[in-house]
Amino acid sequence: MTTTENSLKNKSPKYWLSLEQWRQDPDFQRLAEQEFSNSPLREDSGSEGGWARREFLKLMGASMALASFGCVRRPAQAIVPYVKRPKEIVEGIANYYASSFVDGGETFGVVVTTREGRPIHVTGNSSHPINGSGLSARAHAHVLSLYDPARLTGPTKNLQNEKKTNHDTVEVTYEKADQEIADQIRKGKVAILTGSIVSPTDAEIVADFAKGTGAHVYTWDAISHEHYVDAQEHCYGQAVAPRLALEKAKLVLAVNCDFMGTWLQPTQQMRDFSKGRKPGDGMNRLIVIESLLTLTGSNADTRYRIRPTQSTAVLMGLIQELLVNKKTSSYAGDTSVHAILKNYENEIKAALPEAAYAKIAEELLAHKGQSLVLGGNDVSSQIAANFLNSILGNDGVTVDSRRSPNMGFQGKNRNLQALIDGLNKGEIKTVIINNVNPAYAAADKTGFVEALRKAEMAIYVGRCKNETGKYCDFVLPDHHPMEGWGDVEGQKGVFSVRQPTIEPLYNSRSFGDTLIAVAKVGNFGALAKADSVYTFVKNRFETKLHTNWTHALQEGVVDTVTAARAANDSARPFRVAALQMAAHKATPHADLELVLYPSIGLRDGSMANVPWLQEFPDPITKICWDNTLIVSPKLAQDRKICEGQMVRVKVGDKSVTVPAHIQPGLHDSTIGLALGYGRTDAGQVANNVGVNAVHLSVVRDGGVETSGLPVMIEPTKSYETLANTQVYSAMSGKTREGIDMGHRQIVVEATLEQYKKDPSANIEREKIVSAWSGFSYTGYKWGMSVDLNLCTGCSACVIACQSENNIATVGKKYVSQGREMFWVRVDRYYVGTPDEPDAVHIPVMCQHCDNAPCETVCPVAATVHSPEGTNDMIYNRCVGTRYCSNNCPYKVRRFNWFNYPRMTPELHASPMHMQLNPEVTVRERGVMEKCTFCTQRIHQAKNQAKLEDRKVHDGEIQTACQSSCPTNAIVFGDLNDPKSKLSQMLAEPRYYGLLEELNTRPAVQYASKIRNTDVLKSEESPHKEKHHEKHEEKGGHHV
Amino acid sequence: MIARQPLVLGNKSLKDVTDDICRLVETWPGGKYYAALLSAKGLFLFYLCIQGMIVAFGMGMQGISHPVMWGTDIITFVFWIGIGHAGTLISAILFLFRQKWRTAIARSAEAMTVFAVMTAGLFPILHTGRPWLAYWLLPYPNQRGPLWVNFRSPLVWDVFAVSTYATVSMVFWYIGLVPDLATIRDRAKNIWRKRIYGALSLGWRGTARNWNHYEMVYMLLAGLSTPLVLSVHSIVSFDFAVAQLPGWHTTIFPPYFVAGAIFSGFGMVVTLMCIMREVIPSFKDYVTLHHMENMNKIIMTTSMMVGYAYASEFFVAWYSGNPIEQFIFVNRAFGPFGWSYWIMVTCNVFIPQLFWFKKIRSTIVPMFIISIFVNIGMWFERFVIVVTSLHRDFLPSSWGMWHPTLYDTGAIFGSFGMFFFIFLIYVRLLPVISIAEVKPVLNVGKSGAHHG
Repeated sequence: MTTTENSLKNKSPKYWLSLEQWRQDPDFQRLAEQEFSNSPLREDSGSEGGWARREFLKLMGASMALASFGCVRRPAQAIVPYVKRPKEIVEGIANYYASSFVDGGETFGVVVTTREGRPIHVTGNSSHPINGSGLSARAHAHVLSLYDPARLTGPTKNLQNEKKTNHDTVEVTYEKADQEIADQIRKGKVAILTGSIVSPTDAEIVADFAKGTGAHVYTWDAISHEHYVDAQEHCYGQAVAPRLALEKAKLVLAVNCDFMGTWLQPTQQMRDFSKGRKPGDGMNRLIVIESLLTLTGSNADTRYRIRPTQSTAVLMGLIQELLVNKKTSSYAGDTSVHAILKNYENEIKAALPEAAYAKIAEELLAHKGQSLVLGGNDVSSQIAANFLNSILGNDGVTVDSRRSPNMGFQGKNRNLQALIDGLNKGEIKTVIINNVNPAYAAADKTGFVEALRKAEMAIYVGRCKNETGKYCDFVLPDHHPMEGWGDVEGQKGVFSVRQPTIEPLYNSRSFGDTLIAVAKVGNFGALAKADSVYTFVKNRFETKLHTNWTHALQEGVVDTVTAARAANDSARPFRVAALQMAAHKATPHADLELVLYPSIGLRDGSMANVPWLQEFPDPITKICWDNTLIVSPKLAQDRKICEGQMVRVKVGDKSVTVPAHIQPGLHDSTIGLALGYGRTDAGQVANNVGVNAVHLSVVRDGGVETSGLPVMIEPTKSYETLANTQVYSAMSGKTREGIDMGHRQIVVEATLEQYKKDPSANIEREKIVSAWSGFSYTGYKWGMSVDLNLCTGCSACVIACQSENNIATVGKKYVSQGREMFWVRVDRYYVGTPDEPDAVHIPVMCQHCDNAPCETVCPVAATVHSPEGTNDMIYNRCVGTRYCSNNCPYKVRRFNWFNYPRMTPELHASPMHMQLNPEVTVRERGVMEKCTFCTQRIHQAKNQAKLEDRKVHDGEIQTACQSSCPTNAIVFGDLNDPKSKLSQMLAEPRYYGLLEELNTRPAVQYASKIRNTDVLKSEESPHKEKHHEKHEEKGGHHV
Repeated sequence: MIARQPLVLGNKSLKDVTDDICRLVETWPGGKYYAALLSAKGLFLFYLCIQGMIVAFGMGMQGISHPVMWGTDIITFVFWIGIGHAGTLISAILFLFRQKWRTAIARSAEAMTVFAVMTAGLFPILHTGRPWLAYWLLPYPNQRGPLWVNFRSPLVWDVFAVSTYATVSMVFWYIGLVPDLATIRDRAKNIWRKRIYGALSLGWRGTARNWNHYEMVYMLLAGLSTPLVLSVHSIVSFDFAVAQLPGWHTTIFPPYFVAGAIFSGFGMVVTLMCIMREVIPSFKDYVTLHHMENMNKIIMTTSMMVGYAYASEFFVAWYSGNPIEQFIFVNRAFGPFGWSYWIMVTCNVFIPQLFWFKKIRSTIVPMFIISIFVNIGMWFERFVIVVTSLHRDFLPSSWGMWHPTLYDTGAIFGSFGMFFFIFLIYVRLLPVISIAEVKPVLNVGKSGAHHG
């Protein structure tokens, strides 16, 4: 006992805290050791007390590694910075290049926005006299065609077998191809087939090449204006496509002429027309007499319906009224004219009531020299229209044929026919085809393909391998317009530059350079000594136009006819003999007449593989991803056709089967079918979307007839779901179930007379009492105005917004489920009866309400109001309850129901992502999105202003929709600045807020639509039940 | 004086009660039970697949789209939340009013509440676009600013209301279970059984002190739950009433929703009890026709209350003079979804009127059929509110339809799979009738029973 005590004493500490410590109890010692076991300084192995720190870390590391082994992270993608940064590129700062774009014959001066060397957006060149800052939907979309996955990547050769069908495609070098082509050309009998050439340089090169090789040049356009040009030649001896000087016209009469949609230069024409649209004295007036309901017809002040074959009769009726009844012109005594009119007598009576002729004629007389008469897509109505213009003294004033006429629209079907004949007869051995696609778009496409097979060598130069390229021996890739040099003379004397904005993506060569290269190899004439397209273009601007090259590149346009365009010209003498061409041919009316029309989105189908254009809702039908047979409500009732029902359409022995769409406003004996669809070799997006109806057109006397074709229809038993983005089209009246919708103030219309009496006519303002004075905005307060009187519904803003804001396309299936993503939509409503309605258009984007219903209901505050009055959406905070959309009275919010690149990979294929705007977040699946007022542009301008220590100038910020608008209907600005254009506009009593009675206090204000007519459709007759809706609702979604 | 109907039939002794009720927990189930369990489980697994696909690919798998952004998930959420109300009402309010007939059905009604809220609670989470972030709806300290939820949003109120409701119902149910769990523990022969039920019974000894505390807590919880009966569905109704959408923006919604919830809840209790009586015949003595009749009376009363609400909505729409409001209501009854309105009215207002006949309200087969109609009708009530209001609102350009997909049907029926799966498990693990509460209402030992 003592020994133990002693031994303990020896070992025990001098100072002790407890008896256990003094006794050196082993349990206590173990505890004492572990007291600070979590100290990082402790390094023991800890074999007894669980895991030590290092062991723990090792195990944790290993288990982490093991855990992450199963889940593969997305592969690392290296971002390589510039080793030597090009001096013009600053990362994060956009560069802008003036350039131009040609669409068919329509020309645009554009400004291309590039980021880090990639074109991402296109805007109009505001100093361009043709389109100004406005663009068409297609012009906006052509930026995406640059990144079309279906583009050709290098020269190829199709190895044809004996039957002349391709059995293999091999890659070749340009040297080899040029050599073979040059060798072949030396054999002679060469033809070049192109569309209308509006580039003076291309024209010069083609002419030189033709001279050097003895080639014949054939010009052919998929969407032909040949009747317009031919009629000019017959009437005035000049094969010209006059410019429509709509800014000078006080009265426009369009007979089956969609000058706002697809005829000639619609963007310029809308812009010019809108200049005279200011309500008040001198406001212009538009009378439309048509068979389909076109975009132009939807903007008419007065509209009549006729059969397509009655166009000439209507114009003859007016000639009769003016010459015979009113004896107004020097032609009044011309007996030959009388004889022709006599022939038309019955036709005239059948087309329109007599009172209508008298009324229109009176109006035309009242606007002599200030009116414009436009004929349809056939020679005789064009001749009659020309005659009326001559009688009325419009020629030289509103019809500009000499000072600055259109340079395009020269293509003729006769030319293609001649080429086909030449090939069939063996007179042509070699064909060079540039960027036209007759194997798809020609009326006689099978004839063309058969003829092409007889050629010894066919060379296709184009951007994409297509229906025509398939049958050619050599397929040489052409530059995208954004990749190469060029120039454009869209209208005489207006020269614009086309400059590359990106290094060619692929191994492509411009058409001009291809011709030069071949000429060099074969030593064909003067072209063999030429340098490149670039030198031609530069030369033209420097030596021929005497401009500073750098200045031309900066401005993008040299306008040599500014003064001449504004001035009037003398009238051309009219050749009365031409009227014989329009003499009545006793062809009986068919029971039903078919009109094949180019659609506003797809036109000739050349850009069909751009998903934006496929998903572009037609401004009238609001249908996308299909061409439909449009029939009138009455016809649908008579023939028992339902929305979406497949109908077989037969013209002669040719037929197609298409889904029907019931379209109010159509003439009951007319059916319409859009062209541009049914591509077979365009790429993943466009292939087999819709049907190609072009072969239903009739070739007569070499020309193509696309309207008034006698047709038979047979409804089938099958149905197709249509991707319709707007199923209901009435603002008041009764639904199909007979329920009164009540009065809704959506689009306010007033006649000019009502407006003159009261500028705020027909606007009902609710007296709103609020307990809250509201938030006071001290800095900027952003707002927007939309003038419904200027908006034509062309929907260019829709694509502009899509391009600027990275809005996903979702495909037909999801559009038909209502999942389209547009931030701005253009609503189209019908007023009046389904048979003869007026149409109104209203672009609806987020209204950025001061009292935003969406903001209060979001549980996570993902949508909040900024102190500058915008309703901001915070994507990364959004959990996707969608309550905001339910509470939004405007229904402008769009939800990402899916990860669309995953669900519809063909619409988002590489390299289309290169177009994405790096300033705008690409939204994830499951989040809500909506218009931001282009917040990135606001911030960019504010940053710039801050650097320069100033406030943002008025007009410095342009939203994408605003800058795209051809008629400047949209104005964005600071409501807190009393001097801003916006504030001044909103002082006009014509402005109202959409659903302002809800006290949402929207930042977007609409101006009422003023119709220059006597009585509004909404007031003239009680609302009838809209029959069409019965079918629309059914077919709009699942049948 | 008319003799009160006995609450338990069959002259049971106290031991009989314990034996009858515990038998379910203490014996192996038969084939019928397994068949029922497997089918419920199959449906539940199908439900998991459906919801898994939706989480994997997106909410677009369901039929909701622009402009009907809410659909099956929200409808079924409100439906299940409503179902739960009867449980709380029976256990809390009827308890406070000393309605002794509640004893036999209270336990299962409370269980139904808990399971219905569990089923319901999944829907708002899974209906979001990014369910993995749904926890952002909770206000919790965070490193994002801190960024709080938007307290003005009814959806946040919903989160509070439903989570409170779920917690309180669960605690209430559990506290009520404690004495019975102790009974099972005491009867258990297997050691694990003893331990598990022992742990669950929280050391219940059945002492006077135990009982004293128990009764106190139970009453307090009953008092706490009572306002919840009114508040939860009022707040759920705010999801709609606070919005400015015509058809939603209605002040009558809170009472209307509460009445509807009680109505649907009793409907579901009757459904379950009818099944239980058939499956476990010995329970016929506890859940007597008298009980069923009482519940049917409540169903009939609440049916007239919702009927009144439907009528008053139309009246207010007409009286408001607001054309869009008027349109929405006429469109509800006569628009493209008019059939759903008439299903609702028929099932909720007309069919329950059959309970005016004593014969019908005290016969199992008709009352079972009617209770099914009530369930259907109440699902359609929420459908009518959600879908018909959204599909045609202010701007006709945005009008659209709602087309259900497989994923909608799957979500509705699958949720029943989940509910019944849990319910069937409960039936075999916990006493489905409160032993402790039934015993006091027996006539055993009460002299008055034989002489009075």
